[in-house]
Amino acid sequence: MRVSSKQAIRIGARSLGFVAAAAIAVGSVAVAALVPWTEYRAEAPSVVVQPAESRQQRVCPGPLLALGEDAAAATTAPSVGSADIVTAAEPPDAALEEIPLAAPGNPRAGEDGTPVAIAAEPGGVDAGMLAGAQSQGVSTETLAGFAAAACGEAVAEAWLVAGATSLGRSGLVLLSNPTAVAATVDVRVIGEAGAVEAPSALGIIVPPGSQRVLSLAGLAPNLLSPIVHVTSTGGVIAASLEQSVVVGLAPAGIELTGATAPPATSQVIPGLVVPEAGGVEATEDHVDGDDFPAVRLFAPGDDPVDVSIGVVPGAAGGGGTIEATLEPGRVQDVPLGFLEAGVYTIRIEADAPVVAAARATVGGTEGQTDAAAPSDLAWTVATAPLLDAAVVAVPPGPSPTLQLVNPGGAAAAVTVTEDGTERTVSVPAGGAASLPLGGASSVVLRGTSGLHATVSFAGSDELASFGVQPPGPLDSPIRVYPH
Amino acid sequence: MARPAAFRMPRRGPLRLAPMFPRVTAVLVVRHGGDHLRRTLDAIRAQERTPDALVVVLAQADAEAREQSAEAGATHVVQLEEPLSFGEAVRSGERVLGAPASDADALWLLAEDAAPEPDALQAMLALLETAKSVAVAGPKLMEWDEPDRIAGLGRTITRLGRSLPIVGDELDQGQHDGLSDVLGLDPAAILVRHTVWQALDGFDPALPTADDGLDLGVRARLAGHRVAVVPEARVRFAAAGVAGPPGGGRSSTRRRRTRAARAAALHRRLVYAPAAAVPLHWLSFLPLAIVRSVRFLLVKQPGSIPGEFAAAVTTMFSGMRVPRARRVLAAARTVGWSAIAPLRMQPDELRRRRQAAAEARRTRARGRSNELQFVATGGGWVLLATAAASVGLFSWLIGSGGVGGGGLLPLSGFAELWRNAAYGWRDVNIGFVGAADPFNGVLAVLGSLTFWSPSFAVVLLWLVAMPAAAVGVWFAASRLTERGSLRAVAALVYAVAPPFLSALAEGRPGAVLAHVLLGWLAFAVFGAATSWAAAATASLLFAAVIASAPSLAPALLVGWIVAMAVSGRAAVRLAGLPVPAAVLALPLIVEQVGRGTPLGLLGDPGVPVGGAVPTPWQLALGFPEGGWGGWSALVEAAMSSDPRIVATLLVAPLVLAALAAVFAPRWSRAVLALGTVLLGYATAVAATHVSVAIVGPDVVAVWAGAGLSLAWLGLVLASVVALDALRRGAAAAGAVVAVVSLVAVLPAAIVIATDAVPLAPAGERTLPAYVVAQAEGDPRVTTLRMEPEADGGLRATLEHGTGQTLDDQSTLAQTQTELPDSQVELATIAGNLASRSGFDPEAAMREFGVSFVLLAPAADDGRAATQTEARARTALDGNATLVAVGETDFGELWRFAAAEPDAAAAQIPDGAGGWVAGVITTIQVIVIGATLLLSIPTGAGREADRRPRRTARRRDAAVPADVAEGTAAEADASPEDADERAEADASSEDADERAGADAPSDGAESTDGVEAPAPPRAPRRTEGDDDARE
Repeated sequence: MRVSSKQAIRIGARSLGFVAAAAIAVGSVAVAALVPWTEYRAEAPSVVVQPAESRQQRVCPGPLLALGEDAAAATTAPSVGSADIVTAAEPPDAALEEIPLAAPGNPRAGEDGTPVAIAAEPGGVDAGMLAGAQSQGVSTETLAGFAAAACGEAVAEAWLVAGATSLGRSGLVLLSNPTAVAATVDVRVIGEAGAVEAPSALGIIVPPGSQRVLSLAGLAPNLLSPIVHVTSTGGVIAASLEQSVVVGLAPAGIELTGATAPPATSQVIPGLVVPEAGGVEATEDHVDGDDFPAVRLFAPGDDPVDVSIGVVPGAAGGGGTIEATLEPGRVQDVPLGFLEAGVYTIRIEADAPVVAAARATVGGTEGQTDAAAPSDLAWTVATAPLLDAAVVAVPPGPSPTLQLVNPGGAAAAVTVTEDGTERTVSVPAGGAASLPLGGASSVVLRGTSGLHATVSFAGSDELASFGVQPPGPLDSPIRVYPH
Repeated sequence: MARPAAFRMPRRGPLRLAPMFPRVTAVLVVRHGGDHLRRTLDAIRAQERTPDALVVVLAQADAEAREQSAEAGATHVVQLEEPLSFGEAVRSGERVLGAPASDADALWLLAEDAAPEPDALQAMLALLETAKSVAVAGPKLMEWDEPDRIAGLGRTITRLGRSLPIVGDELDQGQHDGLSDVLGLDPAAILVRHTVWQALDGFDPALPTADDGLDLGVRARLAGHRVAVVPEARVRFAAAGVAGPPGGGRSSTRRRRTRAARAAALHRRLVYAPAAAVPLHWLSFLPLAIVRSVRFLLVKQPGSIPGEFAAAVTTMFSGMRVPRARRVLAAARTVGWSAIAPLRMQPDELRRRRQAAAEARRTRARGRSNELQFVATGGGWVLLATAAASVGLFSWLIGSGGVGGGGLLPLSGFAELWRNAAYGWRDVNIGFVGAADPFNGVLAVLGSLTFWSPSFAVVLLWLVAMPAAAVGVWFAASRLTERGSLRAVAALVYAVAPPFLSALAEGRPGAVLAHVLLGWLAFAVFGAATSWAAAATASLLFAAVIASAPSLAPALLVGWIVAMAVSGRAAVRLAGLPVPAAVLALPLIVEQVGRGTPLGLLGDPGVPVGGAVPTPWQLALGFPEGGWGGWSALVEAAMSSDPRIVATLLVAPLVLAALAAVFAPRWSRAVLALGTVLLGYATAVAATHVSVAIVGPDVVAVWAGAGLSLAWLGLVLASVVALDALRRGAAAAGAVVAVVSLVAVLPAAIVIATDAVPLAPAGERTLPAYVVAQAEGDPRVTTLRMEPEADGGLRATLEHGTGQTLDDQSTLAQTQTELPDSQVELATIAGNLASRSGFDPEAAMREFGVSFVLLAPAADDGRAATQTEARARTALDGNATLVAVGETDFGELWRFAAAEPDAAAAQIPDGAGGWVAGVITTIQVIVIGATLLLSIPTGAGREADRRPRRTARRRDAAVPADVAEGTAAEADASPEDADERAEADASSEDADERAGADAPSDGAESTDGVEAPAPPRAPRRTEGDDDARE
């Protein structure tokens, strides 16, 4: 059967049409994929809300307490002497109010004083430009040493990284509620073996304007490395941890530690003062006691976390790095190795959020005799990066020193105003600076954006420090999307 | 001066013996020369009794006419430079004549297209001579081309004044030869006594074309004379528009004729009415025009509506014409109106005509069969299969009263549903006055189906979506193929299109509706070329599709323009396709363009649902959700090949079948269907590049699935075209395409069937039960909802009552890029509430009536979001003005301790929208209502079906339709029955359809090339030829 030429033409034309249609189909997909079409994307409108100025408030934990001095009154914790409280604000003439908080657990509150909330009127100072701090030295049969603490902001969640409840160690969790609303507080203790079941510590009511004290040993006895996680609903809480050490029969130090920086993958512990050369290698498995520099780490997540701990001596940088792996849910103390005397910056990089603080002791030597026991210890907490300006209250104490760390890539020039005298300190990129303070109770820092700071005190047998924390996020601007 | 010439004339004619010699002057009005005029002049010359004088009136005549007239041997030639009406032209011609010598002198009023038979004048003159009382005699007008068909034999009016021909379009078998006395006549070729003419002042100048002869007859009757027809006098008449209204079936001519008839009827009504009733009649004209417009819509003559209003208005404001006509009438009148009563058309005659027409209609209807044969060709099985598939997929929805998740929210109650469909208060977030999304109208219609619980309608939609989409495309495919197997393949493939399943799985009501309606739209557009009802239905579906998926608007408008271009004369019915869509969207367009966000018009209505943006390749395979249709997981689990290759192979048969459409006999269909694919794909790709809807910090891209639905429709129809061209094996090839397409969506179907989608049976609320309980007593109770966002920001919105509903949503709000002051204020309040702040927290209560604050859990578990959540919780917890209610299913809830019910700030302002809302809503209701009337597939309930073969039916329906009008207490005339006479375009389409034997077209929204040359005259009676196009 022959195909007529007309039919052939027709079939040919149709085939061409098919090829053309297929080519258009392929071509249009190619054009859609290859041509860089312009994109239209509407801008999501938002408003950055600067919260209206509110009452700035700091809470000082109050005088050091002694638990169980009077066996008949185990629920009370009477104070031991009184603390020196100093305040600082910028502008310096801002009207400050000191509101004592009720301390129902302290029968000696009348004599020794109570926790104090420092408040500035709304608008009196900018966020973060109010500070308070306290210091106290004690020397009794069971307590001896020097403790200093910053008056912190009351928050809904705090991590206290310090203390121990093993033999000779005791701790008190101080919960202060400066607000007008009762706070319902959950205190969770995590130790080297994992979280400690302590139902009695959940749902603690802290009435408005008062302080409650818990015994850490009562919640979680025999922990070498406890971490206390405090959360509150309703009112907010300023939490701190008082801990004391008795070695043998002699008191071997006391410390009052504030909250460390919230969990993050990167933590900076500025200004760890190591007064005497010494230490334990990080690889050492079984070390007892607390008379060596160490860093306590905890990862709140559910997975093992690899941590790199940089121990940077002095101002210049350098130093060694310690690698460690954190088991989920368990606290780990990592010895920092043998360190020369000096000031160190501990920089922690982890692949999941961690909390951290570092410990050092003064006095004493190796060995566990009474005479060689350390005379004081200090916990240096991780701090959050500062804003552009900060004010620091410096309580009386032995050789107060401001430790500045600049983790950033550019040198920072910090203006330090102390008693009206201004000086400029350069903090090199990735480096640190130690700035002895001249005894003024108020130091104003400017140009500190991104820097970390600690105030340390070091005497021959006294050691203490507190971190300079930026104001909490509650005051910071927030972006609001109204759609 | 004319007399000497005039006296000569009789001597040339044969000498007649008569008691007296009445002088007859023929007045011939001429506009165009040519065949008509030549034959008319010849006919006058050939009269057995020739006129005594011939006056030729050249009314703006052309040169040929002047030439021919000059040779006619006219007594007088009157040249007029204006195109005067027949009556005025005759008046000018009569002016050159002297006064009539006696009562017997007569004027014979001829037009160029009225050729009298040789004995016509003699016969009429004989009557005038024998019957002194007869003042006006008229001939029997015969069709010019068919001289055995009566074109006119007198006119009469009904008791209510409507003008009717006594005999209309009948074969002349002498059946009317006994007729004598009539009420009026058609103006052509009548013989009028000159004296009576002068006494009656000729034709009424206010009746230039229609009813002039009728009016003259009425006035002659009232002056005591008689008017008679002389059936023996036969005059061939072409209705060229010189005397009387022009005939012919062009739609523009027809519309002009209708308008002239209506204007004449209204004018006569004012002239004939008692003086006291004139103002009442005058006032009734506009209301009557509205009522009659409704009827025009129902009988599918929307083209007559403008003429109706024009006639009413011009008659109402016609100056001194009515008083003049009343004066003339009163001056000559000698007898009462009862004198004409016997000559009006009697009610029983009207009834008889109506019955005859109804009988004729029934006879025709019996000849039709349902060509679609839904059940016979397997449509029922398709419906059953897709219904079963739908039940299988959504078994978890059965029995629930609502569905939530994805883009689904409950619907408001019936009344609020409709309020939200109109311009006015948009009750979303703070609320504002603005245009409604057209989609809200679609939701209102949908929700009204289950008016007792509108949210249930969404469940129903999800359950019937697949069968509805399948049946729509089944019908559309039935226009392209007779084979039941291919129709079923098309229906199945379209019902399981990947973009459709994606839209169902993700809860996108707009996209689901658009997919379902696209098939029906194609079906309606196929029928629109031949049926007003289908065209109106198509325009409503067009509006609904664009309302549901505005991103389809550009593609559909392009399709509309193409359809207009290729559909020839049927374009008139397609012209109005986008009108309802445009009217619904216009307020939105004005507002969006006015504030500089025109692209916001493309935003998907409803709740914006974000998601991954698909690549062009994924789009080419029909997957709009940014994946490979679930094949990634399946393929990687089972084998080592690339999921992209598997997905591509599974879509390939459909694409190849569609491309093969170019082998089919009709290129145009293939090109149109494949063009639809291209348009749809382009729409989908473009949609991925436009992100306009704003949800918190996210900007959501337009849903690409709507474009893919259009592309899929094109693919399916192209495949049908291709497979239908196969002589053998079409069913097998179709089965392969269908099975492979089914396999392609298997993973997606499994995901839906196991309810692994964000949808779930849902209750009626989106807020905690505590708030809902408050809303019982305080329907405007306001909740400030805060949601922490991934970037550490906070999304803060207000919800009223029991929470947001689907119909509350507004793309106007979603696409807003600049915040008004009230939004900034709300943001400030929310930001301060989420902070430790000295701000007065009760400002939220005061300014916005907030009673509750709801902190939703962070959707993102990143650090910034959880920190923001913690911050906000801390701040709200520590706020002494708030009382914690507790943790709820929707987040943590606080209550303002001082909040009071029915807060003033939470109420909708009175009269939101003002008069603008009223005007806009009225216009929208009128347009949609008119379209709806037009889409009702019957003529005033009389037409049993909506099939397009209107020519034959309409011609016969003419009389009953008029009767209906007459009995509707409305009484007037459409003298020539112009509206009914012939729908030339319809008839031309008939011819076209018969020629092409496959009228429906290719392509989704184009009609076939209905461009066949229009036959010169409408075929007269084409019975039993109706196809079931619609």
